[in-house]
Amino acid sequence: MQSSTFAAISSALVEGFQVDAAAVSPESALDQLGLDSLALMEFVFAVEDRFDVRIPEDRLDPRQAGVTLAQLATLIDEAVALKARGNG
Amino acid sequence: MASAAAAPVAVTGSGVVSPIGIGLAAFTDAVFAGRSAVRAHAIDLAGLDVPLVPIAAADFDAAAVTSPSRVPLDRATAMALVAADEAAHAAGLGDGSVAGERLGIYWGSGMAGASTFETTLRTVYVEHRRMRPTSVVTTMPNAATAELAVRFRARGAALAYACACASSAVAIGEAMRAIRSGAIDVAVVGGSESLLTPGVVAGWQAMRVLAPIAADATADVAARACRPFARDRVGFALGEAAAAFVIESIAHARARGAAWQWQLAGYASNCDGVHITNPDAEGQVRAMRAALADAGLAASAIGHVNAHGTATLAGDAAEAMSIAAVFGAHAVPVTSTKAIHGHLLGAGGAVELLAAACALVAGRLPPTANTASVDPAFAIDLVTGNARPAPQLRHAMSSSFAFGGTNAVLVASRCE
Repeated sequence: MQSSTFAAISSALVEGFQVDAAAVSPESALDQLGLDSLALMEFVFAVEDRFDVRIPEDRLDPRQAGVTLAQLATLIDEAVALKARGNG
Repeated sequence: MASAAAAPVAVTGSGVVSPIGIGLAAFTDAVFAGRSAVRAHAIDLAGLDVPLVPIAAADFDAAAVTSPSRVPLDRATAMALVAADEAAHAAGLGDGSVAGERLGIYWGSGMAGASTFETTLRTVYVEHRRMRPTSVVTTMPNAATAELAVRFRARGAALAYACACASSAVAIGEAMRAIRSGAIDVAVVGGSESLLTPGVVAGWQAMRVLAPIAADATADVAARACRPFARDRVGFALGEAAAAFVIESIAHARARGAAWQWQLAGYASNCDGVHITNPDAEGQVRAMRAALADAGLAASAIGHVNAHGTATLAGDAAEAMSIAAVFGAHAVPVTSTKAIHGHLLGAGGAVELLAAACALVAGRLPPTANTASVDPAFAIDLVTGNARPAPQLRHAMSSSFAFGGTNAVLVASRCE
């Protein structure tokens, strides 16, 4: 996980979804942020748009219990790397 | 035995976001001053065959409003929340004196999220972006109703009304009936509309109902584009707004110690059943008479009419005929405030009821701005120039005559 990726994800959460900054850490679980399933999907869309990538649906269901922000950041990093190799 | 008038309903709070002012104080000031917010706007859309259109936009920052459901808000829904907050604050709605299951939301909007939908589709078709997961709930016709229900924890009926330019008048009237019936005690009512995106504006322009503005028109000329009931009327300006009221049964208002200065006395709605756009004086007359009967008032008791008054050729002609038929020639002072705030579509009925209430509370009749010379074919007493003193004013009528043929008329009364 790139620290810049995590920083971008946490700023999206705090600024776009009114999540308390104190509740945002790499270990935070998506389903524990106080967002409903619709807001979670919006959040993932917003993060994907920010990095101009798509995380395949079979790699991530943000509603699944226990998925952490670190895992999301790693998936973003992988998608960015894939795209940089021309396969994205 | 004559049927007894149905019970009046107290209006314990009002709020407004409009082109002529945000908040009741600013709105009232502009209504009596006849201060127009209509400006000339260029529309950024290929294929539009006029350079400028008349628009009355609100000085409103939708981005500063947070959704109670934490989803993106249509601009009209953001306006609805701000107007309703003002009304709820005035009524003391948050003080625990209203039970959620006895509180309803009755809200009107003509095209609701059409503006956001247009903007979203533009990004999809032009920029090849994705539809957002929240695009449905942001643009659905009951989006504002739902956000208001969450904001006020309303657990009675939450209903959205869509009957074009009568939407919010119908919403207010139907809430009044629900309170009279005992289904609920209190309701947050009103309407919102914001459709100033290029595609929707172009649709209105294509109907040739917007007042034309010359490419070299000065700001002052643009501000006077809408001239209701005038000999030289040429159509209306589009506006955006929300107006909200807290209404409740008299018994409920008394029991919780609420104060109010005016109340809803009567309501009626019907349909012309004739044509989708052409107005029909017969339907309008029936609606006004039915609203008077509902209020238990004779036509002669009404001291002021806030007319639909769109400044279109056909619309004003039909309405002038209807008013003269119900009240007699030149018998009741008439105002159209659309001259200054534009046609507010689904929000119009609520905003114009508020203008009528301003008249009731102040004992003054707002002017029909911009109209210098009333069409000589019209036998109506149009208030023009400056506001007219009316210390004896007790009852006022607000009419909304919509596309689709829906007519909705509300009668309001000043409290003794």
